[in-house]
Formats: sequence, structure tokens, C-alpha cells
Amino acid sequence: MADLYFAGVDVGSLSTDVSIIDHSGKLLSETVIPTGVNGSEAAEVAFDSAIKLADLSREVITAITATGYGRASVAFATGKTTEISCHGVGAHQLFPKTGTVIDIGGQDSKVIQIDSHGRMLDFTMNDKCAAGTGRFLEVMANRLELDLDELSSPLNIEGESAPISSTCTVFAESEVISLLAKHTPREHIVHGLQRSIVNRIWSMVASIGIEGEVTLTGGVAHNRGLVVLLEEKLGLTLNIPENPQTVGALGGAHIARRAYQSSLELGPN
Amino acid sequence: MMIPNRKEYLKALANSGQKIMGVLPALYPRELLWAFDIHAAEIWDPPGEILHANAHLQTTICPIVKRSLEFILKEPDIINAGYLFPHTCDSLQNLGTQVKDLIGVSLPVYTFYNPKGSFNNTTTRYYRDILQNFQLSMEAVYGPLAPDKFLAACVLSHKIDSHLMAIQQARMTDHLSLNNAEYFKLMRAQEYLLPTDYLSLLEQVDILDQPGESPRARMMVSGILPPTPEILEFLDELGVSIVADDLLAGSRRIPKFPMDAPVSPLDYLTDRFFILPPCSTRGGDLDERLHHLSKHMNASQAQGILFDIVKFCEPELFDHRLLVKTLRGKNYPVLTLETELENHISGQDKTRIEAFTELLFEMVSP
Ligand code: SF4
Repeated sequence: MADLYFAGVDVGSLSTDVSIIDHSGKLLSETVIPTGVNGSEAAEVAFDSAIKLADLSREVITAITATGYGRASVAFATGKTTEISCHGVGAHQLFPKTGTVIDIGGQDSKVIQIDSHGRMLDFTMNDKCAAGTGRFLEVMANRLELDLDELSSPLNIEGESAPISSTCTVFAESEVISLLAKHTPREHIVHGLQRSIVNRIWSMVASIGIEGEVTLTGGVAHNRGLVVLLEEKLGLTLNIPENPQTVGALGGAHIARRAYQSSLELGPN
Repeated sequence: MMIPNRKEYLKALANSGQKIMGVLPALYPRELLWAFDIHAAEIWDPPGEILHANAHLQTTICPIVKRSLEFILKEPDIINAGYLFPHTCDSLQNLGTQVKDLIGVSLPVYTFYNPKGSFNNTTTRYYRDILQNFQLSMEAVYGPLAPDKFLAACVLSHKIDSHLMAIQQARMTDHLSLNNAEYFKLMRAQEYLLPTDYLSLLEQVDILDQPGESPRARMMVSGILPPTPEILEFLDELGVSIVADDLLAGSRRIPKFPMDAPVSPLDYLTDRFFILPPCSTRGGDLDERLHHLSKHMNASQAQGILFDIVKFCEPELFDHRLLVKTLRGKNYPVLTLETELENHISGQDKTRIEAFTELLFEMVSP
């Protein structure tokens, strides 16, 4: 298996991520770029850039798994797998004792249960709205005129978090407007928003339960305030990958590697 | 196998002078209607877009009730013998009252209050009683019932059941050459085809001598209606076969086991009603339904079960939570989709279905 390389290309609603690994599973490079309006173009650009970073050429990549909502648009992929399976496998690679993955993505959130090999056992996904997703935070950041980093700080001033009772993006935004009108400190509103997402995620976790260690993936895992609140709510310490956004792509690369290995075991038909 | 389009078929029938009763789902004495030469056409599917009905119904009413009312308001030229509202759920019962008293359609509106509960002396007596009452209300309009026609209608129904049972069995064991989309199109054709036309369609179904190619994964579905054709085609594309179902518009209308050919129509219809599979709309026992589901999962070797739940469907939602909990407890993979009978699958539902099939594929991979 020397000189074999595998890639995962995750075309998400907000970002397109690529991971490249070698035959042993060692990570060689990763890229994250905004998806923009054209998923297939974003996939090409991100893939080229990851190849360059790994100092490889396109031709040497043995197998490529496309994943994410735009998985069907990756013409150069050799296979496609849902982001749900990919996040399970990716989280398992990074934290082998993971039994539950919480993925808070740009457009949707998922809770995935996996076995000791990273194979999916069960999952749940949020409904057809942006509640409890990265999109929710983006909308609120705009409304509060904060950047996403500022929106991620844990509560560090005196006082309670502002009560945001709605998990719906539209209603929560109106609540934020009212709170701003009442001169509620922005930090308290931020904390209230983080709590609102945590409550939404909690209801999903409650529907399928927690097994083993819990790994948090997706861009929202960068939000420190939310992580603190989620850990508090779940009563445990979360595994946070160094690059939570690329876990799906990493899982995709490993799935491509597994598929290649099993095709060798099965032999040609 | 050519299956005519529901609306065009019914329009042609109406134009030919056929008496047609618009029937709401799901269980009603179709044989009695046939005996009066009335065609029972179920009106829960077309039309797609709901415009007029929303003016009369709350937003939290299921889309089947809305579609049915839309049909009643928008297609007055097809149905000519009246409307029949079985007591499937409170929403349909209320719709019957609304159509009769508030909306004021010109055709007669009939109701049929199915017994809730399982087989016992009281429920069977009650069922016979409402059958006879319904017969009387038909006789008041169409004259005395001809006993030989009633028996012939039951014989036809018995033949249809026998074919459906054989087809169901063939599907479980991969002896059917129909894919998911074709299979459910065939099942749903009974909602609007004349029984004789439907029987000849069933007679054309090819049951293989040897099992065909095994699907990549096997799935059971439960709920009211089968998944939308787009989902069925997507499952076909993925190589997943729906090998068994527990759908109100599917197997819940087929007796659990073969019956003797009818001799007395009333006895036959009463016996048939009580050997239908357990159903949330008949207030069935949940343990019995669980047993039924597990039995079919095992018999068909289904690896997982998909619940396709119609939004705001009270009877199904009552059962659903406990069913899922128990099945998950038995390690059956379960996926629930909530549908408003949209014609297209959302990207999220597509991902859900695909991820679920990946889970099933993992279960069968070496
Ligand atoms: S879907 Fe449910 S609520 Fe709607 S008509 Fe059918 S049984 Fe009644």
C-alpha cells in the first residue's frame, strides 16, 4: 500500500473542506474554504489546494469520497457517503473511544452514535430549519454586529444570561432586537443565544442517548462559550478536535481508504 | 403493467355514466357499494396543491384531510353518488360534519363508524349492525340490495385479497419483479380502479419461480401512506428494497391470513374486518402492533424500519413514540421521516435516508 493517497471532500453549506491521508491513515493536508454559490467549483479549488499543500499531484490520489450536502456535485470523486457516516468515522479516527458524535454544522446538526470501529449505529438530525446550527449563530452575529469570534466568548461579566426562549432563528432574532432595545448587555445576549443552541442540541441528544466519549465536530465547536455550556448540560468533558470543521472530510478520506482496502480483499469481479 | 392515472380514469368512468362514491380513507364496506353498482373511489391523493381547503381548516390538520377537502371543493364533476366518511380519526369525522353541515355539498354525505377495539362479542355485533345500517341507507336511495350481487362482490373482494396476499409474500422473499415504486403504485391503484380492473391488473403480476437478485439492503416501512414516489425511486437507486410494510394504504388492508370463500356476505365482511392487521386508527393494542411489526421484520429479513409519519396524524403519533422506543430497544435500526405529502424530498431527508441505508449496508457487509 505504499504511495497510495486518499481524500475526503466535504461540500457543506458554508464551507468546503478537504483532507488528504496516506495509506497508513496519516493526515497529510487539510483545507477549508467558503463554499460560496458553486459547490462543484469550491470542491475543485479546495481539492487542488489540499493537494498542493501535501506536495502531491491529482493523479496519485487513489480514491476520493465526496460528502456533505453538495456531495453529488463532486465530479472527480470515486464514491460518495453522507456526512453522517463521515463524521462518525472521522471522530473515531481522532478519538477512538468516541461513542457519540455531536456535529453542529452550518445548516444542520446531528447526533450520531458509533460503535468501537467508528461505524454508525444510530443518528438523529435537526428538522428542516436553522435552529441549533451555525446559520443561527451567523444571523445573530449580524444582528448584534459582532464577528463569530466575539460570539464565542464564554460569559465573563457579572450577571445572568439574557433569556432567549425561542430556538427558531426568526423568533430568536426578534427576541434579540427587543433585548437590544432594552439595553441588555451584549455579552448576556450572546450567552442566551449559546444557551438556546445548547437546549436544541440537548433535545436531540436526549432522543438517542449518549454512549462512550462524546466528540463535538463542525465549525461551531470553535465557539468556546457554547462548549462550556454544552459540557455543563451534558455533565461531561467533550473531545474537541483541533480542526472540528474538517472531521467530515477526514472521515471521508478514511472511508475511501477502507473501500480501497476491501476492494483488494474481495479482488476484481 | 400500465396503471391508468387516477384523475383521468375516474373522469372517464364518470363520463361513461358510472355511479361513483367519493370515499375517504381507509376502511369502509366497499363490497356493499359494489353490490349497488357504485364504484368506491378514494379521494385522499389528488390534487397536489391545497388552496381552497385552507379556508375551512385549521393549520394543524393533517394534509390528507386537507387534500380530501380540496378534492371535494375543486373536482365536483367526478363524484356523483355522494361522499362516504369512515371514522378513521377525529379529523376525518369532523371533516364529514363540516362537509355536510357547513360547506354544504349538493351530494349526500354518509358516515361509517368503524368499531375501535379488537374482536369480541360487542365489537362484532356493533360492526354487523353498522353494516346493516349502511345497507339500509343505500337501499333508501338505490332500492333493495340484490343478495346474489352482494355475494358476488364479496367473492371478488376475496379474490383480490388472495392475490394481494400472494404478492405480499412474494415481495418478502424476493419473488417479485417489481421495484419499490412499481409495487406501491400497484398497491395504491386499488384506491380508484374498478375492482374488476384491479383484479385483472393483479393477475398480470409476475411471481417468479426462483428468488430474484437479493437487494443490497432490506427495509420495512410503517405509517399511513407509502413514501413519495421520489423517495421510492431513490431507494431503488440505492439498491434498498422495501420487503414488508405496515401502511394504512398498504398491508393494513390485507387480512393477516387467508379466509374461506364467502358464503354469507355479512359474516364474511365481519370476519374480514377483525382479521386485518393491528392499526392505530382502530384503537389497536400497541403490543399486538409491535408483535406484528417484529413478525414481519423477521419474516422479510428486513434490517431496519422506516416510519413515514404524516404531519399532525394523531392516531399514528400516539403509537409512534413507543413503537420507536421499543424497536430501538430490540436493536432494530429505525428512521422516522415526517411528511406533509410534498412531491419532492428535501436535501435533509435525502441525507437522512441515505445515511440510514449506509447503516443498513454496514449491517450486511461482511
Ligand atoms: S393521516 Fe392520520 S389524521 Fe390524517 S386522515 Fe389519516 S388517520 Fe386521520
